[in-house]
Amino acid sequence: MFLEVERVFKSFQKEKVVKDLNFSLDPQHTLSILGKSGCGKTTMLKTISGLVKPDSGRIMLNGEDITMQKPEKRNIVYLYQEDLLFPHLNAFENIAFGLRLKKISESEIKIRVNNMIHSLELEKQALKMPNQLSGGQRQRVSFGRAIITNPSLLLLDEPFGSLDSGTRQRMQVLFKKLSAEFKITSLFVTHDLKEAVLMGDQIGYMREGMLKVYKNKTDFVNDPETGVQNEIEFWDNLKIRTGTEMSGL
Amino acid sequence: MNSKTSNIGILFFILIGVIPFAAAFIYALLYSFGILGVFNDGFTLKFWESVFSSGEFLSSFGYSALIALVSTVLSVSGALWITLKFKESLDKRFLSFVMYLPLAIPGVVAGFFTFQLLSRGGFFARLSYQLGLISEARQFPDLVNDTYAIGIILAFITMVMPFFVLLFLNVYKNERLEDLGVLAQSLGAKKNQVTTKVFLPILLKKTSILIVLYFIFLLGAYEIPLILGQESPQMLSVLIIREIKQFDLSQISEGYVVAVIYTIVVSISAILLFLPKKGIAHET
Repeated sequence: MFLEVERVFKSFQKEKVVKDLNFSLDPQHTLSILGKSGCGKTTMLKTISGLVKPDSGRIMLNGEDITMQKPEKRNIVYLYQEDLLFPHLNAFENIAFGLRLKKISESEIKIRVNNMIHSLELEKQALKMPNQLSGGQRQRVSFGRAIITNPSLLLLDEPFGSLDSGTRQRMQVLFKKLSAEFKITSLFVTHDLKEAVLMGDQIGYMREGMLKVYKNKTDFVNDPETGVQNEIEFWDNLKIRTGTEMSGL
Repeated sequence: MNSKTSNIGILFFILIGVIPFAAAFIYALLYSFGILGVFNDGFTLKFWESVFSSGEFLSSFGYSALIALVSTVLSVSGALWITLKFKESLDKRFLSFVMYLPLAIPGVVAGFFTFQLLSRGGFFARLSYQLGLISEARQFPDLVNDTYAIGIILAFITMVMPFFVLLFLNVYKNERLEDLGVLAQSLGAKKNQVTTKVFLPILLKKTSILIVLYFIFLLGAYEIPLILGQESPQMLSVLIIREIKQFDLSQISEGYVVAVIYTIVVSISAILLFLPKKGIAHET
């Protein structure tokens, strides 16, 4: 297994936010994680990325124990819910940020960033500042900036939450494409059932700090707690009602 | 309705802001060329020539610019350090009150306080005497009315630094620097790199206009240089007022020459500062 999380707990004062977190993930796979607001998803991601220290437990990445490692040493990139770009840098420099920290040569940075900009279809936006980009463009820059550093693990915290449905769909397709192209292993947190099913190779559901990872999508669909059955029922009822109305005409 | 309100606003701006300023500038300009003034008898360039040949204006301008620059740099640097070092503590009510307090002190009071503290007969001189560090007043270093303008610079810093701390704290919150710092760390930045590559450039870029405006404000400050400054060279405003108010009425025009040059320099700086930047693109 590429990522192994074992018995991780995290509390803030007396409140237990993450309880007995146990799961593993294969390389180049995406684990979608569903859950209501405040169920501990963000704390879980921040704990794995090293931004929050766990109270107990162990996190292994590619066979190495990274539980106590500093966040900048883990090669794990945590992507915020919003497209958080550095406001003083243009799109090109935002994408190049992680590469410049690694002191890669200027010519290589240019080649790699331009390739990424091409993959993100942002050729015309390369020199624009963040406030000159649309929501979707900013989110793409944010992706590019994270992916270009070849992170071992990408943690996405409701990355498309603020986008309209059309842009959201395009971003889902783009993420799938980039995941395959750059061989990304990721945890994808979302509120959206459909998005969880579309994006994940595996699906998990988090409730009150506890994460349940399903063996397959059928188990996930059949579990009444996930709300999938309610959703199916809703659309079926709507279909029947619409069919009745149509036949009555 | 909106356009009517905006037209009235523009009219008020012109009536209150532009016309009096333009009238005063034209008056000063005409005075500087000898067209106006009791002892003047027609257009002449002699006052302009006199100002440039005496060298007093240039040395005063250079001296003022240097003091304003040093004060601005020290205030901004100090405020950046305080903001980044104590950002959590500064959220507390008492400390934020302590930061706000100097902002409520007028320049003239700050000047007198500084004088009382730093002069040879002031608090620190007396304290040094009591502690046996000096045996007579003249052994105390020149900190007010001195060549290096230490008193002026300290008074400026006392007044300006709290403003910048509050400004930087505001930008820190509004621009979500905490989150950007975490993001930079997750992209591989060490703590000092987060400071140098994220915090400082954003804070300075977002406040650059205000920093330049404060420089211009300090360049033309009056009360503090009047109380704490030396005889020569003097800071610009003190020099201008001295020239305009002097007993020799034939020399008043020279004061207006300096005022006109100062106004032109400041106006050009302000125009350059506020020139429209590249437009913001919209969703595509």
